[in-house]
Amino acid sequence: MNALIEQPRYACALGAQQSVLAIPGALPIVHAGPGCSSKLFGFASFGAGFQGEGFGGGSHVSSTNTDEQDVVFGGESKLNNVINGALRILDGELFVVLTGCTADIIGDDSLSAARDFAARGHPVVGVETGGFKGNNYFGHEEVIKAIVNQFVGEVEPVPRPRTVNVFSVLPYQNPFWRGDLEEIKRLLEGLGLGVNILFGGGSQGVREWRAIPHAAFNLLLSPSTGLETAELLRAKYRTDFLHYPVLPVGGAETSRFLREVSAFAGLDSETAENFIAGEEKRFYDYFVSLADFISEYRNNLPSELYLVADSIYGPGLSSFLVNELGFIPRGIYLTDAPADRGRRLIERSISERGGFQINFESDGGLIEADIRRRIGGGHKAVILGSSWEKFIAQDTGNLYLYVSLPLNETVVLNKTYVGYNGGLNLMADLYSSLFSRKTTTSRTQLFTD
Amino acid sequence: MAEGKLRQIAVYGKGGIGKSTTTQNLAVGLGEMRKKIMIVGCDPKADSTRLLIGGLAQKTVLDTLRDNGDKVDLSSIMKNGFLDIRCVESGGPEPGVGCAGRGIITAIGLLERLGAYTEDLDYVFYDVLGDVVCGGFAMPIREGKAKEIYIVASGEMMSLYAANNIAKGVQKYAVKGGVRLGGIICNSRNVEREIDLLQAFARELGSRLIHFVPRDNVVQHAEIRRKTVIEYNPSARQAAEYRELAGKIDQNTFFSIPTPMSAERLEEILIEFGLMENIKDAYQI
Repeated sequence: MNALIEQPRYACALGAQQSVLAIPGALPIVHAGPGCSSKLFGFASFGAGFQGEGFGGGSHVSSTNTDEQDVVFGGESKLNNVINGALRILDGELFVVLTGCTADIIGDDSLSAARDFAARGHPVVGVETGGFKGNNYFGHEEVIKAIVNQFVGEVEPVPRPRTVNVFSVLPYQNPFWRGDLEEIKRLLEGLGLGVNILFGGGSQGVREWRAIPHAAFNLLLSPSTGLETAELLRAKYRTDFLHYPVLPVGGAETSRFLREVSAFAGLDSETAENFIAGEEKRFYDYFVSLADFISEYRNNLPSELYLVADSIYGPGLSSFLVNELGFIPRGIYLTDAPADRGRRLIERSISERGGFQINFESDGGLIEADIRRRIGGGHKAVILGSSWEKFIAQDTGNLYLYVSLPLNETVVLNKTYVGYNGGLNLMADLYSSLFSRKTTTSRTQLFTD
Repeated sequence: MAEGKLRQIAVYGKGGIGKSTTTQNLAVGLGEMRKKIMIVGCDPKADSTRLLIGGLAQKTVLDTLRDNGDKVDLSSIMKNGFLDIRCVESGGPEPGVGCAGRGIITAIGLLERLGAYTEDLDYVFYDVLGDVVCGGFAMPIREGKAKEIYIVASGEMMSLYAANNIAKGVQKYAVKGGVRLGGIICNSRNVEREIDLLQAFARELGSRLIHFVPRDNVVQHAEIRRKTVIEYNPSARQAAEYRELAGKIDQNTFFSIPTPMSAERLEEILIEFGLMENIKDAYQI
């Protein structure tokens, strides 16, 4: 974490402004120098499959744009002005004040500024997200905890049976978060659960966040990011949580996931099994229909898997590709520097799923060098990663698919690689990528320039 | 130091040790030698030049910057005090907010842009508050600024701890930027064997005790009247002490890279000179 790295895959803690924007009705107020906010938008939205600004996002984020005078004399009065202005002008139900490096270094008391507005009845919370404190995965969790502690607050829970809060992928940082959360919500509803998905278009927004204390349980679908949140909610509202560390992709993992959720929530197993059976039938019907293609193009199919993604997305994707599609895992790189206990959990999860080598590496330069060394002169690889990995694939004559940031040359809308639908999408994209090659051949057809 | 060349000097020392008093009296001593001098107070309290101009007569650099933006006139932030010594105060934020260290960097940068460092100057003194707590307070000894440092200390234990710590900061900039320690100035607190202790301390730092300024209440009498001793009572014995200090600094040719000591070694010296013989003495401060 301390060394210089090439090809960074994540942003600083202030990148959590995107997490705020992902909550319908919530708006960020950034207390930082000029450029911080727009740079982070550029990284995690524009450069992440062009996901759009949305209301109050992108170049419209309220920001103090602190200058030298604010550093010398403190920027608290400017922050107060900007919060005041945002409350007057912007149509928001919740405002989250996020700080940048300079404000935190000079010790601006931004949290008490937010607290003062909250004390006057305004929906304002504050969180310190100076870039030196951690990356945007850290910032994401800090934002959630701040909203829970300062906005949802001290509430006596009135548990609503069969309702769940979901903490999972990082909005925007995961380019497919919108589609992923839609699929996760669809799956859980299929079990008969009421779902607080909390982020994205499928969320009821701020109202849903207020309902957090009353959920029957929390679901953490991530190895480590979100664990502090789940623990906070258990301590604060006595809500138990299910920690399922692998994001389910494809038939086998998704069915396993649904059975665990059903059992944890004490749901009717017949309902669950009926839902799973219906989903599996659909999934494997499609799967089987690939057989003709696979036999026709068997000489062109990739067999070696390289994957560059974060620790939330990577394990599930690679497990599906290895265990259901038969890929040989040659290089799996998880880029978000998860905490030690997250790493141990990922390693244990992978060992339960066939056991293959995974690498925790944030330095894109080292990842590239390792992939190139392993591929050598081979043409049997598919590399799942970012725009950076596309260059390696093109250079070495191998295939690629986009799954992680930065993504500057594709448009992402509702795509997902999660769940049953995600598995189908992944197979279709994976095998379609064969035709991006100029020399793909079958018994009956020849594709060349 | 070569004749006619601007000497930029930074004065550091524990808070309350008498840096501002010593610097201003020393500057007046140099002023009597017809030297052209500017004092830059690097303290948000802006009290580094009050003895020369009879209070805070000029706006601080940072207050001016805050009120007027970049439209700052040198005459509004620089006032000539006793013996035409030019007086500037960097100023700073209100206590408890903002970043005073950055304020010093900003203020010195602005003084440079406004042309405060004229060629006729013989001396610029930076009177820096307290310890070298962060990068901003080291600004006066960065490249192109003060090359000479004097540390004001007394025989009190915490003053020597602070002086040793300051020497660490000086050492860092000495290695990379050519800053040198010109000596230790003892502003006496009438501690037993103080002169011996300070000499030993300075020697251990690879420097020397350049002058021992005895304690004399005339300093307080002058201060209450917002004057330096030389202006208040030119014939006082203490005035002669400051003149002597000025002469020694003007003639100083011994500049060293300090060799700060470990806390253990510092305490050994304190024990050697009896300062820590019993615990009551050790905490007399």
